[in-house]
Amino acid sequence: MVLAIQAISYAVARVLGAAALGLLIGWPFGWPFAGMSLVLAAYLTWQLVNLSRMAWWVRHRGFADPPDIGGAWGSVLTQIVRLHRRKRFHKRRFVQLLRQIQRSTAALPDGVVILDAAFEIVWFNRMAGELLRLRRTADLGLRVDNLVRQPEFGRYLAAGQYASPVIIRHATSEAVYLALQVVPYGEGQQMLLVRDVSHQMLLEAMRKDFVANASHELRSPLTVISGYLETLSLDPAFESEMQGPIAEMRRQAERMTAIIADLLELSRLESTDVPATGEPIDVGALLGALRRDVLAHESRPREVRARIDSEAPLIGSESEIHSAFFNLLENAAKYTPPEGRIEMRWWVDARGGHFAVEDTGIGIQSEHIPRLTERFYRVDPGRSRASGGSGLGLAIVKHVLQRHDATLEVQSVPGEGSTFSCHFPPSRIGKTLAARTASAMIRAAGTDAAADA
Amino acid sequence: METADLSHHISRRFNEDLERVRSKVLAMGGFVEQQLQQAINALVEGDSALGEAVAIEDFKVNSMEVSIDEECSRILATRAPAAGDLRVIVAIIKTITDLERIGDEAEKIGYIASRLATMERPADKYREIKHIGRVVSQMVHGALDAFARMDADAALDVARQDRRVDEEYESIQRQTITFMLEDPRSIRRFLDMMWVVRSLERIGDHAKNIGEYVIYMVYGKDVRHTSLDDVEREFRGRQAPGGRTA
Repeated sequence: MVLAIQAISYAVARVLGAAALGLLIGWPFGWPFAGMSLVLAAYLTWQLVNLSRMAWWVRHRGFADPPDIGGAWGSVLTQIVRLHRRKRFHKRRFVQLLRQIQRSTAALPDGVVILDAAFEIVWFNRMAGELLRLRRTADLGLRVDNLVRQPEFGRYLAAGQYASPVIIRHATSEAVYLALQVVPYGEGQQMLLVRDVSHQMLLEAMRKDFVANASHELRSPLTVISGYLETLSLDPAFESEMQGPIAEMRRQAERMTAIIADLLELSRLESTDVPATGEPIDVGALLGALRRDVLAHESRPREVRARIDSEAPLIGSESEIHSAFFNLLENAAKYTPPEGRIEMRWWVDARGGHFAVEDTGIGIQSEHIPRLTERFYRVDPGRSRASGGSGLGLAIVKHVLQRHDATLEVQSVPGEGSTFSCHFPPSRIGKTLAARTASAMIRAAGTDAAADA
Repeated sequence: METADLSHHISRRFNEDLERVRSKVLAMGGFVEQQLQQAINALVEGDSALGEAVAIEDFKVNSMEVSIDEECSRILATRAPAAGDLRVIVAIIKTITDLERIGDEAEKIGYIASRLATMERPADKYREIKHIGRVVSQMVHGALDAFARMDADAALDVARQDRRVDEEYESIQRQTITFMLEDPRSIRRFLDMMWVVRSLERIGDHAKNIGEYVIYMVYGKDVRHTSLDDVEREFRGRQAPGGRTA
């Protein structure tokens, strides 16, 4: 409101002033109003000239060298020039910032690819271009999995589980391995991190080979030692006071053999990448056999029960599942006192098949639980070494479950007991005999009906 | 290098359909590439289990071909595309056929690999096969990259490489015949190796075909029975026609 009054008063003052001047000039000549019109016309022309000068300057001069104009037009011009200068300043700062960021991402030893929600490439740094053979401008807007076509990567993107990276072999360079990981951020944007892990993979391969070879080599000497120890223990000529030490040596040799067998089993499981395919396994029969094994094996029998809540078979490798379940059962037996109770359960629900071993043993403190499946990890070194075992049982269980797309869950209350559960996805559960018979009958009924019609 | 822009469509949904089918083709291509790599590795490293695994997995390639074929038929029926879009669909249908054949050849290689793994390994440890295998793998990879980028120049490069493969095939053939004459007891083994090399040579041909479909997609010209020199003279470095709406 104030602005309008100011503007109007400014304009009125100018116009009245020009009119008055015109009257004064025209008066001596006897044409006051002609004089007024002339001066007003001149004033109007002057304003329009300034306006068009300014318009021309804005259009053609690119904001440099503003013309010298007075009055209201002049102050508008000044404002325009000032605005433009500020804009240029901000733009320069912005470009500098962008260049800094680009320089730092170019210096990154890892590759970064910015993707949109549809996995199309928005931008990538130099390293990503090198590792993935991407082209500077041509590949923007293309889906990243159209160019990085390894099936494992496609599965990784589809699964949406980005907690850990996926490792793929380079499409054309045989010895190169890349670790790819998706990091979501912002709104629907994602970053793809690319790292060359060929060196780590090589070291891993060397380590695995070493473990396998060393275990193999240790086997034969150990067999010889065990053999002789057995002979010595049966030899009546030996003094009885040697029998104690000999028995101890035999026990230790047996332990070493067990450790080597487990190491070989573990390295076998690690080296085969293909997940276990397999036949349907009758879990009920398996649990029954395991129960008998454990009761016969352990010197202190305790109550072992098996509860089978479903007839559905488990699809997998019978020997590996037997090994895994037996390890869990053996652990339960080892850490449960004679008056305790061990129960095995197998049940199937919408989320898949579940096998659990529950015991009323000494339990495990919560801080140990995340590390249980590490090789040779001991909760209580003194106790577990005395009771035997290789320290590799749970590592084997973990690998077998991984190969069967399953997960291991551990719950425990110290002093009360523990429950170890294996969760298998629905894809690993077969149809029960009843279901198979039912569907077969339905199919047969269908063909009968068709024949009758 | 010239790429064609698929994004100018009247119907946005059609664009999405088309892109989805293209992605499925490239996913199929990625799997076939892996089959080929593993088949060659199985042979060179004498890994019988890997060879069998490759042979068993081939059914997945066939089901992918069927699924993409159905999708293309659906698009043709419901959208009735024309001009550039029609070329893309036609090229896709032909490409998946060649990809499926590559899968079949990889299956054969895998099967022979699992058999050869039990026999005595030759002195040069399959060096020649490894070499021609590498060239052919690169051709398949290059053809699929050209398909992903709609890059006709890259497709021409693939076609060029096929000549090299054909020459190497002939030279390996001559060499193998010499070996067989020298040591008739090993004829069985050398025959198997010849089958592998023949499969690789066929895979090279299929990769070249895919390159030709890319050129067809980009320029609308069917170059399947044109000599390579004529094609290069006409198309190398050319600008692709822009804006392909019906």
